[in-house]
Amino acid sequence: MKQRYIIIGFWALLSAASAIIVNTSLVEERSGENFDVIAQPDSNTLPAEEEVFKLADKALELKQLLESGQNVNKELTAYYSRRAYPGAPPVIPHPAGEERSPGGKDCLQCHRHGDYAPAYGAFAPITPHPELISCKQCHVPVTTTGNFVANTWSSTAAPGSGQQALPGSPPVITHGLQMRSNCLACHASSATPAKIRVTHPERVNCRQCHAIKNNEKNVPEIWTR
Amino acid sequence: MMNRRIFIKKTAAFSAMAAAATMVPGILFAHEQKHDNPASDITWHKAPCRFCGVGCGILVGTQAGRAVAVKGDPNCSVNKGLLCVKGYHQIMCTSASDRLTKPLIKKNGKYVEVTMKEALDLVAAKMQETIKKYGKDSVAMYTSGQSTIPEGYVASKFMKGAIGTNNLECNARLCMASAVAGFLTTFGADEPMGCYEDIEHADVFVLWGNNMAEMHPVLFSRMLDNRLRRKNVKIIDLATRTTRTSKAADISILFKPQGDLAIANAICYELINNNWLDKNFIEKHVVFFKGKTGLGYGLEDKFAFKDEPEAIDFDQYKAFLNDYRPDKVEALTGVPAKEIKYLAALYGDPNLKVVTYWCMGINQHTRGTWANNLIYNIHLLTGKISQPGNGPFSLTGQPSACGTAREVGTFTHKLPKGVVTNKKSRELAAKIWKVPYERIPDKPTYHTTEMFRAIDRGDIRFIWIQSTNPLVSLPRTSRYRPALAKDSCFVVVSDVFPTPTTDVADVILPAAWHIEKSGLYGNSERRTQYWDKMIEPPGEALPDAWMTIEVARRMGFAKLFPYSKEKHHEEIYNEYRQFHAGKKHNMAPLSVLKKQSGAIWPYIEETGRSTLWRYNSRYDPACDTTKDFDFYGKPNGKAVIWLRPYEPAPEMPDNEYPFWLNTGRVIEHWHTGSMTRRIPVLHQAVPHAYVEIHPADAKRLGIKHNQKVKVISRRGQTVLPASVNDRGLPTPGQVFVPFFDENMLINDTTLDAFCPISKEPDFKKCAVRIEKV
Repeated sequence: MKQRYIIIGFWALLSAASAIIVNTSLVEERSGENFDVIAQPDSNTLPAEEEVFKLADKALELKQLLESGQNVNKELTAYYSRRAYPGAPPVIPHPAGEERSPGGKDCLQCHRHGDYAPAYGAFAPITPHPELISCKQCHVPVTTTGNFVANTWSSTAAPGSGQQALPGSPPVITHGLQMRSNCLACHASSATPAKIRVTHPERVNCRQCHAIKNNEKNVPEIWTR
Repeated sequence: MMNRRIFIKKTAAFSAMAAAATMVPGILFAHEQKHDNPASDITWHKAPCRFCGVGCGILVGTQAGRAVAVKGDPNCSVNKGLLCVKGYHQIMCTSASDRLTKPLIKKNGKYVEVTMKEALDLVAAKMQETIKKYGKDSVAMYTSGQSTIPEGYVASKFMKGAIGTNNLECNARLCMASAVAGFLTTFGADEPMGCYEDIEHADVFVLWGNNMAEMHPVLFSRMLDNRLRRKNVKIIDLATRTTRTSKAADISILFKPQGDLAIANAICYELINNNWLDKNFIEKHVVFFKGKTGLGYGLEDKFAFKDEPEAIDFDQYKAFLNDYRPDKVEALTGVPAKEIKYLAALYGDPNLKVVTYWCMGINQHTRGTWANNLIYNIHLLTGKISQPGNGPFSLTGQPSACGTAREVGTFTHKLPKGVVTNKKSRELAAKIWKVPYERIPDKPTYHTTEMFRAIDRGDIRFIWIQSTNPLVSLPRTSRYRPALAKDSCFVVVSDVFPTPTTDVADVILPAAWHIEKSGLYGNSERRTQYWDKMIEPPGEALPDAWMTIEVARRMGFAKLFPYSKEKHHEEIYNEYRQFHAGKKHNMAPLSVLKKQSGAIWPYIEETGRSTLWRYNSRYDPACDTTKDFDFYGKPNGKAVIWLRPYEPAPEMPDNEYPFWLNTGRVIEHWHTGSMTRRIPVLHQAVPHAYVEIHPADAKRLGIKHNQKVKVISRRGQTVLPASVNDRGLPTPGQVFVPFFDENMLINDTTLDAFCPISKEPDFKKCAVRIEKV
């Protein structure tokens, strides 16, 4: 009996080891000299679906958080007031940590998983792109409310939410998906305004039911090198 | 307690998990699928970004005749869909309330609105009258690295071909001239050999005098992304100040101002004395030269300099480097010998691919040409050049510093191909322009600093400034602002917004902004990008090119400017392309540029491909195919390693003025801020300039963060709030000020010393003192 377990254990270890070896060598080969070809993303295609699953492993935690009732009922208007136009990178509405830091860990410690930030009494929104670590490249703080000269800029209307083809059918996706194809990040965090919050974050394959109703036309011709 | 059964279960589970985890990187999801976009109301148009020289592809969304949104163009290989905060918000400046929409003429000290016809009539009449009275060389044009290719081209044709004067300069003299002179002296041909794709291949990045996280943020992110994806990628920040770049880098090395010259030579000393050389490469592709030393600094009017190159051999070069043993130069550089040795070891390791990036720290330097040469020396000694992931790469700050200023050649000594001193270049220009060959003068006249000095002296009596704001961006504006305000010079300024430069203009012409006209830009990696007009310019605003054409026609040169108002940018580009025909610099045709997000020259029409790495016969068909590398800019096909020593800066801190003053930018603002300060998101992030002081200096002087202080030099003074231990941290004894703020003009204090070879001023080094207000 004892021997059998030892043999099973031995084989399990052996198969794990061989899987590790084969895979590391495969991965290494890919990352070596031969990665010359740089894939050109294509604006006339649906964004790759893998982004949708970025937070899949956290779905249950997100659900628990949402259900725990510990959430702040933020309004959609506050959400849009931080963006110059729908789709623009939002400004940083709080003191932006160490000025000299380009972002990275300083920002991600709250914004990677949407943790509760006691200093601000709020849950942090989850970033849909935690792999981009030079955060202040696009997100800047607000240090004054004035303008250098008056500006008549007005934002365009936000895409409407909750559009359904049939009564009871799943709502469609009305916003552009570039850099925002990680659905759970914005729709299932505790910082998500109630109106756009998903009731079922555990169903991680969002685009199985929610189709894109894109409001963009005349996308330039496709170019691949 | 764990029994055997649980142990075995756990072991099995663990091994399964481990196996699965290693397989995850290989997991593939359903691939991208095509789909037709349903019609709606936002239309997207492609263009290059209006701001820096990176040249990101943007998509501008328009709706009912208004630009409403911007996103990164995922089809553009430069940025792959990502932008920076300036790029995303650029269109917001078009709705600023003080937009120039009507021409203004100064009458009795007051600006009066006139029609465009009246304004252009006056400009042409004034220009003609000045030429008649004072000669051709009394009129000048000062353009920009933000001028489109057609705008730069008609300016050159107008001044050099039609009027017949070399009084044409542009603001790229303030940022790129040393890079140009460096390329020409080392390789005989301008612009980088590599391209941005180097980022995906390199193992080591040396950022030399360049705060890339704030100045070239999209490329910086591409580099960080590369470091995340691959092992052993190292980023080294070599600078005089701790910045966001230093924070993100693996290693930050701080050196004393002007110490860069000694550091580069010390690295070469190490390479040679450790035998970390590519001997085969050196033997086949490199020659050694030395030039004059003790060049001076151009501080006096009418300063002249001519280098005298002299061939030397490897042993002479090696002997010269003996003065630069790393421990010997520690005092000059402030860098411990072991750090220089470490850098040399990285450059010298044949298994590592190294890219060096630099920008204004190296170029804005009284020995800027030398500093560029010295970086090339390192890459030439190790043979790390013109290959994927290996090479020196000079970054640019303006969207068309390469495309317009350098390639069209809006400098006094340049023609669209070659230089005015070359007979063949003049003959080619005369032939394409259809002007008599004798009309193009064979001597350069004024470079930028000297042009504004000539205005001060009264030698230049008329100047037309397009798309730039010299009274914020020139060094020593405390001299040149009163100069330009003098009655002796008639000043015409074309711009989109009022600036301190339009404040002294006699005529202000409203210009169309970026997407309100069609045009072409050329970015740092030799990529030419085209865009179509997307929205109408407001009021009477016109593209700069069209205003130049209108004035030229009024002056009797209608035959030379037969372009149509609707298609002039295309007709001009097609005419301009003739200059660069041939394997070495072929520009992509318009039909290609309209389709894709730019093409890198030399463009190979047979295959429809860009040349990504020049001088390497594997990639560049202009090379002699019997050689592996061919530096065809030089007649013998060999690049030059220059013997360039350390020389001190013209003005060093002393008892009276104990601080170095360094100037530069912040990510939110672009150059003189005339656009970015009018964008609410950017202004609200950084509403004004400041002076960064090291905490120890601040403590000693009793200065607190945000307290107002005076920065005083021998030339002028500026009052700014102090910034202690905030975004940037200068070394003790140094202060830093961003120059975007027209209300706190730091250039009133800077020094107008320049590199005698490139004539590019040094905005990074002069002596100041700090006083509490």
